[in-house]
Amino acid sequence: MKNFERYAFPIFFVVMAILPTLLDPRWQAVAITFLIFAVVALSQDIILGKAGMFNMGQALFFGMGAYITAILNSHYGWPILATIPLAVLLPALFGIVLAAPIVHLRGDYLLVVTIGFNIVFVQVLQNNLGGVTGGPNGIFGLDPLSFFGTQLTSQLAVYYFAFIVLLLTLWVMNNLEKSKAGRALHYLREDHLAAESIGINTRVYKIFAFGLGAGIAGLAGTVFATQYAAVSPEAFEFIVSVLFFSIVLVGGSSIPGVLLGVFVMFVLPEIFREFATWRYFVFGFAMILAMILRPRGIWPATFGKIPKFLIKETRHGA
Amino acid sequence: MAHNELILNNVTKRFGGLTAVDDLSFTVADGQIYGVIGPNGAGKTTVFNCITGIYKSEEGSVQWRGEEIRGMTPYQIVDRGIVRTFQTIRLFGQMSVAENIMSGRHIKSSQSWWHGIVPTLGSRRDEKENWLKVQEQLEFFDLGEFAATPTNSLPYGLQRRVEIARAMAVEPTLLILDEPAAGLNDKETLGLVETIYKIREKGVTVLLIEHDMDMVMEITDYLTVINFGKKIAEGTPVEVQANPAVIEAYLGSEDDDDE
Ligand SMILES: Nc1ncnc2c1ncn2[C@@H]1O[C@H](COP(=O)(O)OP(=O)(O)OP(=O)(O)O)[C@@H](O)[C@H]1O
Ligand SMILES: [Mg+2]
Repeated sequence: MKNFERYAFPIFFVVMAILPTLLDPRWQAVAITFLIFAVVALSQDIILGKAGMFNMGQALFFGMGAYITAILNSHYGWPILATIPLAVLLPALFGIVLAAPIVHLRGDYLLVVTIGFNIVFVQVLQNNLGGVTGGPNGIFGLDPLSFFGTQLTSQLAVYYFAFIVLLLTLWVMNNLEKSKAGRALHYLREDHLAAESIGINTRVYKIFAFGLGAGIAGLAGTVFATQYAAVSPEAFEFIVSVLFFSIVLVGGSSIPGVLLGVFVMFVLPEIFREFATWRYFVFGFAMILAMILRPRGIWPATFGKIPKFLIKETRHGA
Repeated sequence: MAHNELILNNVTKRFGGLTAVDDLSFTVADGQIYGVIGPNGAGKTTVFNCITGIYKSEEGSVQWRGEEIRGMTPYQIVDRGIVRTFQTIRLFGQMSVAENIMSGRHIKSSQSWWHGIVPTLGSRRDEKENWLKVQEQLEFFDLGEFAATPTNSLPYGLQRRVEIARAMAVEPTLLILDEPAAGLNDKETLGLVETIYKIREKGVTVLLIEHDMDMVMEITDYLTVINFGKKIAEGTPVEVQANPAVIEAYLGSEDDDDE
């Protein structure tokens, strides 16, 4: 297990870095989808897995990032990469404003409220609010990536863009694990009252988790808009949020677990085309079985690492 | 007045029709080991909850170092140096002993929320310093060998010790213990008594609830006895033991505790 952890990331990194050169365009597209959805699922993991908040509206933040990129690019001519700061900050800000009045709600209430927000969001897109969202058809014909004036039209460029975004997300999650803020999320999830009683302002950290999760999902939205050169409302429906929610729960709120969940949910259906219509069926059963057999997920989270100098080798040590 | 003194004045806490704490006043002086005793359901835990901000008393005042803390949130009260443990142990069960103790360093850490996204040299140093503080607590409480063990796999006695270690990691001025000896065997209780003395030597005032009368009489400097939420006696252990109202309350209640 230890060896696995040591080598898993370098191997993953190398495989993912050379993978697209071995794939034909159709499979490159599948790989890009995997990267994008992995980022969204990891962002959901911050809110649901680490902080334990039943957020069922992650597709909202994802869609918001995608639409911000699409609107700024198609209506205002911003280059795709230049839209990133707003595609991250606006969803993060929105996440904070949305979370502030609701984070104190009990799990089940929070769930319903976030579903509500997601549904309203899709309605707003479909009704072409302010004349910028394009209604049910969405927005299409976005520019390809460009970097200091050089157009990067190949799909390979989009792949590496998505890959960098995933690496960035993994880096942030790693930083979070080794910080006061990240631990605060674990503490408040494990025992809210104990966390308050040891001095943690749980409200602030819950809102922080929402803001961070929303910002990362927004960034994934930019990549999504880039890949399809288009956005439309149905990609951000409430059912998509359900998938992200389930991936984190079934996967077990660990990075391998979440990546595995994304693979099963979004890549397998592409490999077995006939499986696509069956995926909800299969995934539904997988969820039921996983929750019965492994209530903490297929690949349960291990908590923040403690420094080596604290670990003494004795027969009691873990 | 920055004297480390906790003053409760006419504190009343009701739950619907039940008055769990009834017009209670007492003063804990700097450096004392102060005991609150009383039969089951007397309202002892409720008093502690009113002091630590889990409940807000309907009436009265709770003053700490001359400041009114009634109505503050638990984390604001921790920030002022008052930390507590729970009658029913509340550890972060799936997390290791070291991580549990690290939670006590939360308010001492200088990291901001954004260091969780992008660390700096300063935040890394702060992280290291706080883990070193955790190591100090692990040694003080003789928990070093369990540093990496999840607390829910530890025996009861050790869990109690981890909970006190976590509270001490905050470097409190006033430590509040709700039945710290509950569920401990005699040997573990002796160890606990020693630990409480060592904590006091560090200059920490200790306020505790305890059912183990031998232990209470041995370690406390001063006691308040409550029954049905009301104070029925106070004084030194010797005075309290001789008080007829106390004897009556304990003999009169059918659920006399095993000592
Ligand atoms: N949250 C609450 N809601 C309603 N009643 C409560 C609540 N907390 C405590 N009580 C009631 O208040 C009274 C005092 O309870 P408390 O827990 O303070 O007693 P205690 O002295 O700590 O008892 P024990 O020795 O059993 O721990 C009891 O009658 C209890 O049922
Ligand atoms: Mg009690």
